[in-house]
Order: sequence, then C-alpha cells, then structure tokens
Amino acid sequence: MRRGEFYGLVGPSVAVMVGLLVVPLYLTVKWSFQEVDYGSPGQFVGLDNYAQAFSDPRFGRALIFTTGLTVAVTAVLLGAGYVLAATVHRLSRMRPVVLGILLISYVIPNVVGATMFSWLFDQNFGGVVNLAWTWLSGEEVLWYVQTWPNRIMVALNVIWSMLPFATLILLAGLQGVPRDVLEAAQLDGAGPLRTHWSIIVPSIRGVIGFVGLISIMDILRVFDNLVPLSPQAVQLGNESVMLYIFNIAFQDGGQDLGLGSALSVLTIVVILVMLYPFLRDVVREARQA
Amino acid sequence: MRATIRRPGARPGVGPLGAVILTLVCVLMLLPVIWTVLSVTKPTNVAFVNPPVLGYSPTLESFADLWQTTYFYRYLLNTFVVAVVSTLVALVLGIPAAYALSRFPGWVSVALLLLALVFRSLPRFAIVLPLYDLSRSLGIYDTRFVLAMALVAINQPFTIWLLRNFFAAIPRELDEAAMLDGCRRHQILTRIMVPLLGPGILTAAIFVFFFAFQEYLTAVVLTNTEAGTVPVFIATQLGQTLPMLQQAGAAAVLLTIPVMVFAFVAQRYLVAGLSSGSVRG
Repeated sequence: MRRGEFYGLVGPSVAVMVGLLVVPLYLTVKWSFQEVDYGSPGQFVGLDNYAQAFSDPRFGRALIFTTGLTVAVTAVLLGAGYVLAATVHRLSRMRPVVLGILLISYVIPNVVGATMFSWLFDQNFGGVVNLAWTWLSGEEVLWYVQTWPNRIMVALNVIWSMLPFATLILLAGLQGVPRDVLEAAQLDGAGPLRTHWSIIVPSIRGVIGFVGLISIMDILRVFDNLVPLSPQAVQLGNESVMLYIFNIAFQDGGQDLGLGSALSVLTIVVILVMLYPFLRDVVREARQA
Repeated sequence: MRATIRRPGARPGVGPLGAVILTLVCVLMLLPVIWTVLSVTKPTNVAFVNPPVLGYSPTLESFADLWQTTYFYRYLLNTFVVAVVSTLVALVLGIPAAYALSRFPGWVSVALLLLALVFRSLPRFAIVLPLYDLSRSLGIYDTRFVLAMALVAINQPFTIWLLRNFFAAIPRELDEAAMLDGCRRHQILTRIMVPLLGPGILTAAIFVFFFAFQEYLTAVVLTNTEAGTVPVFIATQLGQTLPMLQQAGAAAVLLTIPVMVFAFVAQRYLVAGLSSGSVRG
C-alpha cells in the first residue's frame, strides 16, 4: 500500500479522533493547571489543583473505595468466570440457551441494570433479596444506609454486569487449548482439578491476564452503577473516583472544573502505567509481523 | 467467523453438580429482570409495598402511564436515532481506516493502533467535560448531533481495533491479485473486502450500536431534555414519586425485552466479536 493511499483511508477517522478526542484531552490537561469555569477563560494557577486533590480526604476515600472494589470484583470475576466458562465449555445442546441468558446482563445498559438491581435490595419496596436475607440470617440490613452492606450490593451489581464478559473471553480461551494435551494429562493420571490448575490455567495465562486487565480498567472507571445503588455515596464513603469527579466538576452547586481536570489527569496516569505492559506487547508483536 | 467451532467428538456434559451451578447462575442473572417485570405489571398501589404482593391480576397500566404522562417516546426515539447514526458514521470512518492499518507496514500504523488503545481506556470525563464546554459555546449542546458525534469518536478506537483484526485475517494475496486485474485501492475495499468481511462488519456494527445505546455518562453530560436518551430518563425518574418509579421500571422493561431477544438472535456475532476483539488483539 502506498503512503498516499494510507493517509487517504486513515485521514477521516483520524480527523474525527483529533477533533473530538485529542482536542478535549488537551483542554482537560490545560484546565488542570487553571482556575476555570465553564464558558470563561481560565487563569493559570500552577500545581494548585493537584495539591488540592492530594490534600482532600474525600479523594483519598474515593481512591481507597475504588481500589478495594476493583481488587475484590476482579478476583471474583476471574474465579467465578473461570468455573462458569469451564462448565459451559462442557455443554453441547444447551450451550446457546445458557450463553443467551448470560449475555442479557452484558447488553442491558449499566444504569438500567443497576436500577433493576436496586429494587431487589430495597427494604422499603419489598425487595426479594432483602427479604430472603432477613429470613435466612434473622438480621435487618439497611443496604442503602450502612457502608459495608452498600459496598457489597454495589460489588454484586458490578459482578452481575461484568461476569458475562469474563466468562465469554475465558470460554474462547478454553476452546483454544489443544485436545491432545488434555488427553495426555488424563493418561498420566491427572484428576480434573489437577488438569485445570497445572495444564489449562497456565496455557491460557494470556487470556486470563487480558480479562484481568480489562476488568481492572473498567472497574476503576465505575460510575453508572453507583447512581441508582448508592444515592448517599458521599456520606457512606462509597464514592468512586469517577463519581467524585462528576460531583465536584459537573453536578450543580460544585463546578470545580480545574480540580476535576487534575483528577482526570491523575487517573489517566494510573491507567497508562497499568496499560504499559500491554502496550509493550503490541509493539513487540508489530515488530515481529 | 464462528467463534464456537465444534471439534470432532461429543462434549462430556456437565454432570449433576454442573447442572445445578448453571441453573442457579442463570436464575440469578435473570432475577433483576424478572423482579422488575413483576413490579411493573402490578397495580401501582401495590407495586412497591413491603412485603411484596405476589397474588395480583397483572395490568399494563404503568406502560400506558409511561406513554401518556411522560416524554418517553422522545427519549426512545433519541436513543435509537443516536445509536443508528453513530453506528453508521463509525463504520464509514472506521472501515477504510482499519483496512489501511491492516495493510500498511510502517511505524505510523503501530503508533496509531497504540494511540487508539490508549484512547479506548481514557476516563470519560477527560473527554466529555471539555465537549460539554465546547458544545455550549458552539450552541449545539443538548442535540442528537453532538451526542452521536461524541459517541462516534469515543467508540472509534474500539471500531478500528476490532475491524483491523478481521481485515488482518484476510490474506494479502487477494489484494495483489485484484491489483493485477486492474483494481484501484478503493475498489478493492468496496468490491472485495467489504462483501468478504460482511459478518465482521456486522459484528462491529452490533457492538458500536450497543455501546451507543448503553451510554449513560456521555448522554447525561451532553444532553438535557431535548436529546436525552432512555438511560438518562430512567435515572432522572429515580427518587421521585412511586408512579414515576414504576414508569422507570416500565421503561427499563421496554428497553430490555428487545435487547434480550436480540442478544439471543445475534449471539454468534457477540461471541465472535468478544473473542476476536480481545484474544487475538
């Protein structure tokens, strides 16, 4: 392919991305060094916004909440996703039915899924999960008012919405494990657990790593789920970093765009650091091709 | 294209324990939808009482309410117009770009793909808050146009990556043979590649459509009452009166049922897209 042809084909797409992704990103970086309001030019204040971000205890709480949620949910997604994928992998006739049901929570918009989820737990609305819990444990739990129950409800909802993705990718990985390797393991007398742990898991390491990476990046950016599930997120200390940025930089009454932009920039730095190994792989693969 | 290639030999089956696990998981995954369907088919005065009423004569009143007392149809129309337009534009821009990236060897391709990957994982507010500011000063705030364009841009990196992986699987010899027959580059793309990649393009279209259709954060920042989408509508109904809450549930059901049907029908493409966009990417 000639250079001219390449630029001709790539040009329109790149132009749109420069106009609607690069320019906004540039503004965010610029605003992070400014005292600024929507619709008016800002004033340079150096690193003030960053200093403010690091001295705000609310940011610290949001960071701890988001990190904890990310670690816990990613671990569950990998474990449960693997068990589920290995089970679905053995299905033949029922497979499309099970996959179809699994896909449902993946295609429902997050905020809508979280809304439906919230009704299962709401003690005022006769939520069935809340009733079942009270009946089983004999304790009343206030899912929207108590910090930890609220966290667990949010985590369950994020798992509900992301489990299909983890399962399907892991299933694709399992399908790529050569049959003769498994048969050899069986002949050598390895039981099912041993086969999974010593043969299958190491051979789909890359896929597991990928699911982990995408889960981590998605949960670090969690926002939609908290809108219906944690209306009192700020008081409970259950505010995610994204919700915190939204609350201080957009919500009525708190339009601190400079601080919000600084927080976005800090989030980008964290994401880039986590992406680095993956980006390096892409470059290496491209060099070899 | 088929992600679920059947290997020779029967599958072992899941056994009783596997069957119990799968049934339990399927019920739990469906529970929020089932519970919502129950709540919205109850008469409004018992829809959300504690303990829940299970013996009731089903009614579709909340759906009638939704159509008559709210601007739901407008939000629904916005959702579909924005999703369809942004999907079409994303493909028109993304197909040529992905084709070029799969064929051009230079470092520019690698750099562009890397940038696409980085932009795919950026926190939305870094893009959306400046777009809010720009759209206000340009007078296009709260229009379907600005929301559709924002979604095209936000989803463009994913579109390019997914399609590039599909194009890369088509042998280059095909391009060379067509060139020898006197085809120009754009003719190769439109006459050979696009028909050949039909299912791949459909997969990309389905994903971009879903992303646009699901988006809440971008829509809540860039729109208000005129161009708002269904997820925004549902979120604004929360914490209001009980009838409004039930209307939100009815809206959620109306939005969810077609999507559920679609997920069953288009399962093959969804699975193919998920495994191709990731495992091989």
